[in-house]
Amino acid sequence: MFFRILKKDLKRKKTMNFILLVFIILAAMFLASSVNNLIAINGAVDHFMEISKVPDFFVVSLSDGKNDAVDEYLKEDKYLSEYQILDAFDISNNQISIEESAQNPDNRKYERSGILYLGTIPDNFLKVFCSDGSELHLKSGEIALNQSEAESNQLEVGDKVKIKIGEVEQEFTVVSILKDMVFGNEMIGTKRHVICKEDFEKYQEQENLIYNRIYCMNYKDGNENAFMKQWRKQGFGLIISIEREAVKTCYVVDMLVAGVFIVVSICLILIAFLVLRFTIVFTLQEDYKEIGIMKAIGMRDMGIKGIYLVKYLMISLAGAGVGFCCSFPFGNMLLKQAIVNIVVEKADQNVAVNLLCSVIIIFIILLFCYGSTNKLKKFSAMDAIRNGSNGERYQIKNCLKLWKRNRMKPYFYMAANDILSGFKRFFILAATFCIGTMLILLPLSAVSTLKSNSLISMFSYSPSDVYMDNGKLNSYIQQENMDMLLRDMEEIEDKLAENGLKGKTGADVIYMVPCYAENPEEIYTYNTFQAVGSWDRHYTLLEGREPELENELIITDITAKEMGVSIGDSIYFRTKDGEQEYIITGTYQSMINMGKGFRVSRSAVMDYGYASLLFCIQVEIEEMESKEACEKLKEIFPEDRIWMANEFVDSMIGGIAEQLDTMMVFIVGIVLMINSLITVLMMKTIMTKERGDIALLKSIGFRNNAVRKWQSIRIVIVLAISIMAGTVLSKVLAPVTIAPIFAMMGGNKIELVINPLEAYVIYPLLLLAVTGVSAFFCAGAVKKVDLKEVNNIE
Amino acid sequence: MNSLVVKDLCKTYIVNKRQNHVLRNVNMEVKEGEMVAVMGPSGSGKSTLLYTVSGMDHVTAGKVDFFGRDISKMKPGEMSDLRLDEMGFIFQQMYMLKNLSIYDNIILPAYQSKNGRGKEKRQEINERAKGLMHKLGISEIAENDINEVSGGQLQRACICRSLINRPKMIFADEPTGALNQQNSKEVMKELNRINREGTTVMLVTHDMKVAAKSDRVLYIEDGNIKGEYGFGKYTAQEEARERERKLSNWLMEMGW
Repeated sequence: MFFRILKKDLKRKKTMNFILLVFIILAAMFLASSVNNLIAINGAVDHFMEISKVPDFFVVSLSDGKNDAVDEYLKEDKYLSEYQILDAFDISNNQISIEESAQNPDNRKYERSGILYLGTIPDNFLKVFCSDGSELHLKSGEIALNQSEAESNQLEVGDKVKIKIGEVEQEFTVVSILKDMVFGNEMIGTKRHVICKEDFEKYQEQENLIYNRIYCMNYKDGNENAFMKQWRKQGFGLIISIEREAVKTCYVVDMLVAGVFIVVSICLILIAFLVLRFTIVFTLQEDYKEIGIMKAIGMRDMGIKGIYLVKYLMISLAGAGVGFCCSFPFGNMLLKQAIVNIVVEKADQNVAVNLLCSVIIIFIILLFCYGSTNKLKKFSAMDAIRNGSNGERYQIKNCLKLWKRNRMKPYFYMAANDILSGFKRFFILAATFCIGTMLILLPLSAVSTLKSNSLISMFSYSPSDVYMDNGKLNSYIQQENMDMLLRDMEEIEDKLAENGLKGKTGADVIYMVPCYAENPEEIYTYNTFQAVGSWDRHYTLLEGREPELENELIITDITAKEMGVSIGDSIYFRTKDGEQEYIITGTYQSMINMGKGFRVSRSAVMDYGYASLLFCIQVEIEEMESKEACEKLKEIFPEDRIWMANEFVDSMIGGIAEQLDTMMVFIVGIVLMINSLITVLMMKTIMTKERGDIALLKSIGFRNNAVRKWQSIRIVIVLAISIMAGTVLSKVLAPVTIAPIFAMMGGNKIELVINPLEAYVIYPLLLLAVTGVSAFFCAGAVKKVDLKEVNNIE
Repeated sequence: MNSLVVKDLCKTYIVNKRQNHVLRNVNMEVKEGEMVAVMGPSGSGKSTLLYTVSGMDHVTAGKVDFFGRDISKMKPGEMSDLRLDEMGFIFQQMYMLKNLSIYDNIILPAYQSKNGRGKEKRQEINERAKGLMHKLGISEIAENDINEVSGGQLQRACICRSLINRPKMIFADEPTGALNQQNSKEVMKELNRINREGTTVMLVTHDMKVAAKSDRVLYIEDGNIKGEYGFGKYTAQEEARERERKLSNWLMEMGW
């Protein structure tokens, strides 16, 4: 009899049990995979650092490989346990070409983003791995590519590239895509391709080559401060200078993507459990009559409870089982998205975690069920037969008055009145919609901010119409030739004038000059920006004014805090020619180099030997929109790379916006699916309770369509309210959830950008449309309600 | 003119793959302005007859003409409009939407009707509703919730709702079945008054006192009308006892 009741129940509530099963599957799948990923990601960065042998400290400096002052210094240093030099060449766009092939029939050109090194397979420090995490081995004529460079240039294994350094040109076949802890991270801004030693030596046979030497250093235990103190005193001209801990911080964006997925998972788990509890409570309420009869014929409470416990045990076993199986491919997919550049320790360690999570799901469901069925004890057999009513009456608040609504359609009035008079009934629905809206809007604000044109000012640049790379940016630095840069910029202006455009050019040269504030023993080396060129531009400050005189500078707020200085204090730059004092006139924020740096005035006299980077030449065209200006410049300078502000930022942070776009599609898909599922579930349950009301309306002459509208408009109103609440909550929560991520990168006072069209129109309308359509289709079930069911009214 | 003409009406339910013939070739007529009661033992098909001739349930075979229109061939939407504008329903249980006040429940069908759109028409509906409530003596409960009033008041509110669109005919399924004697009397008084004002009434009842106040009583057994008994119009309380006695005798003849 026990199983007959169970079988009948499973059959009768097919849809509800099915949706419950789907949510249990989702809950198990998300819980198992997200917990797994949390564990995996947490350990993955540390593990990757370990196997990559990231040194305690590494710097990059230009050298001809002969008179190497840094090498000489390190040989004598007593604070290091070991050091190694990795030689690399800086490759510009015109030095690397893609061979024409079936994959490249239109002979497309290679386009690098940021700085690109060509090096050999490192044997000790900064090791690289194949895409599957295995060790990399290359033969002559083979090359392993940086992942994002390969993706942006649509290069795959088997493709061929040619690289020319000096007079030597070699052809390579792509055999692997790299996982590179340091130079594979977008935030470093420098990428690395790797070839074998023999091929690299073929280039080295030439005279007068400029190397980008990577000096990897490990301190002797406890000698870190002593080493840094001495090192900073040397004032070497460096391109890059990174400590081990900073590398970890660079993975913040990878963690951001992973973090968002985990937040999505947790929200979904919450929703799943809410729905679960609702379904259990509702099912019990619906079965009060049967429960009453069972009690009346003498069944014990525990016996009745047993029916439900067995039912939910069966559903949860089935759901958790399927969820457990699905969690492996799903978890791997999430993990793959989250840790594209990271070598994960082990892939098969998660069976126990997944199993444990699935067991937890079953346990929680049974706990819910047990807790909910406790109510049964409180009712007598007759109470239960009377549908759980114990005779007590509750006043239902009739909030809206129909007679006061002269134009409102009755079905709309009834929908609005139902919500106002009993919002509690729709709470789970509203909470789910609200969470869903936030799940979309919060990452959307991160994506919009990253894609906005205004973000350029966070990268220490003044917004301009066009950003260009003429393929010679690194030669200006390597050859220490500022005149060549200024001349080329003038040429650009002339060429623009020839084409009838009035344009001005500018560039921001980045210097790495050792400096100190009060204590000459405490030396720091930060990026120091200086604007050059005819375009007189201004920068966004947090406080103070822009530097005007040659001994003035502005400082990022993070640097000011680190050095313990404020506006009016002095900073001393130490170069080989002596010391120069600079007075701080203002503070600004920057997302370059983790928010650390200075900007000196245009008139400051800087030693070009300390110039380390030049990311672009900026062009400002008079009376022309950025997009149009870009198109024009692409025509005039077909060989060069031309970007708009947001494209330039994207090139600097390496397609993160694109990655986030993919994530957004995933989130929107999940939210729409959850919204639709929960809408169907709630409507089914509510309609089951309201069959009598529906029959009554139909019996007094309401058409099916009007009843259907009443049912679905109610959902749409709840959705609209939830979207509004979700939008407001997102606005409130964005500064505490999204802004800190930017703060970690240096933008600690960033103004998050919201694209009103996307945030307030497109996504809400999409949610409304998809959920509304789901509700309308689900409400089609009113057709099946027989008019005679008016007798089922409670 | 006949309000309702039923010819060879059959209604069959299929339960567990077995046919259950509830109505078998029922033929009957209800004249305009007439008040007809249907009586019969439990399971005889009284309620099924009421629901089938009022279009609340589908006809298996036969024809039902409502004021000259064959409702057995009507589409569901047309049938809904007919129920909304030309028919009124009173059920044994006082069914009302619990989230609405008594007044809003009453005016709901009128607001839904095509004739209930626009400010002026809605004002007119409100006046009509107030008038009906006043007539039925429930003006003071207009803004109450449905669980704040007595069963009799609620049934009278249901009568108001059934009358709000000025229907041509009222169908009542055991309208006094859930009421005490006093409330039953009040409800029947109202039904008689409505009928006297020209509205045709067809009701199903177990109660002889209720049936005795009708113009005509149909006796149904095993899905077929076995006989009918005509009284003529009920006019005064004094004749009630006599009508009940006559009806009782007739019902005994019918095997009640």
